[in-house]
Amino acid sequence: MIKRKRLKAEGDRSVNMESILERLDELQDTLGQLDRKVDLIVESKKMSNNKINQVLDSPLDVVTLLSLPDNLRKTAMALSRLQEAAAADVARETHRERAVESAYLNQLVTMGYVLKERKGRIAYFTIKE
Amino acid sequence: MRILGKILAVHSFKGGTGKTLISTNLAATCASQGKNICLLDLDFRAPSLYVLFKESRSKFWLNDFISGKCEIDDAITDVTKKYGTVGKLFAGLANPSTGAIQEMLIGSRKGEMTALRRLLSLSKTLLEKRGFDYVILDTSPGLQYSSMNAVVASDVTLIVSVNDEMDIDGTRRMVRNFYEAFEKKSFILVNKILCDSEYTPAEKVRLLSRFEKTSEVPLLGIMPLYCDVLRSDRSTIFALEKPDHPFTKIIGTFAKHL
Repeated sequence: MIKRKRLKAEGDRSVNMESILERLDELQDTLGQLDRKVDLIVESKKMSNNKINQVLDSPLDVVTLLSLPDNLRKTAMALSRLQEAAAADVARETHRERAVESAYLNQLVTMGYVLKERKGRIAYFTIKE
Repeated sequence: MRILGKILAVHSFKGGTGKTLISTNLAATCASQGKNICLLDLDFRAPSLYVLFKESRSKFWLNDFISGKCEIDDAITDVTKKYGTVGKLFAGLANPSTGAIQEMLIGSRKGEMTALRRLLSLSKTLLEKRGFDYVILDTSPGLQYSSMNAVVASDVTLIVSVNDEMDIDGTRRMVRNFYEAFEKKSFILVNKILCDSEYTPAEKVRLLSRFEKTSEVPLLGIMPLYCDVLRSDRSTIFALEKPDHPFTKIIGTFAKHL
């Protein structure tokens, strides 16, 4: 009787072990899938950072200026001459509206070519060195 | 035809068209006419103004100015007395040493950005503060960084071309793809035309209008090929040595357009 109980207990333990091992296998598979997904996310983030870095690492030299759309090139050229300027100063150079130059300057900031610094109420822009 | 602008770049598509000869003689002629002129050698790959002005060179080269090591005042020298011009004549020289040329060849893009900004500041420093009437930039041919920077920094460009299909075609493409992007005014001077006695007036008119039409750039004029100019000692300025020569008279006409 005792032996039968012991055997049954051993059997039960064995079934439990198998079940645990199965669960562990499933867990391992799931972890493996998660691992692969994390790799994919990291890769895609690297690629998008590289693209941003390409822009950030490209100085505003004549080749970069040539690659800009005409409207932004005109703004960038005016700022290159002025060195540090507010949108109104650039607008005087380009003979375009202040609001238009403000938008273009902010685009150049987003692209990483220009820095923006507020001095009081006025935002001043400089070419990023 | 009047050229508007104070900073004049003398450029070409191909090398050997006579840019340095034209820019030097134009600068000297303008100074003889009473204008205050600053001539800068921006051909860092093949510096040549050094030959003319080496005895009077300043402590710093234009290479030093371009890289931010000195201000423009430190890199230009007064040669007015040497040449006896009525107006002031100053010259800025490119370093002719092999090391300096190599350094300019392998320059970084950040360095080129600095160079462009330094050239853009010339208007303020040389024209407004120093009171020069004109700054003449002698450039490298083609679309190299130094020549592109010079053209972008100028108010107007004088393209020196020769009567050669490759040069005309290259000039047209250069103007379309580069000059127009920066809205640069340009004029073309056709140099080294075979002695004009070989052309009848009608042939000359046909040649000029063909040139203007093909290059799509307004024509400033033509300069015939004078053997004695080619044979002359390049350590002197021809227009000052031979003021009555036809070459000098034509240069004088171009100077008046400024």
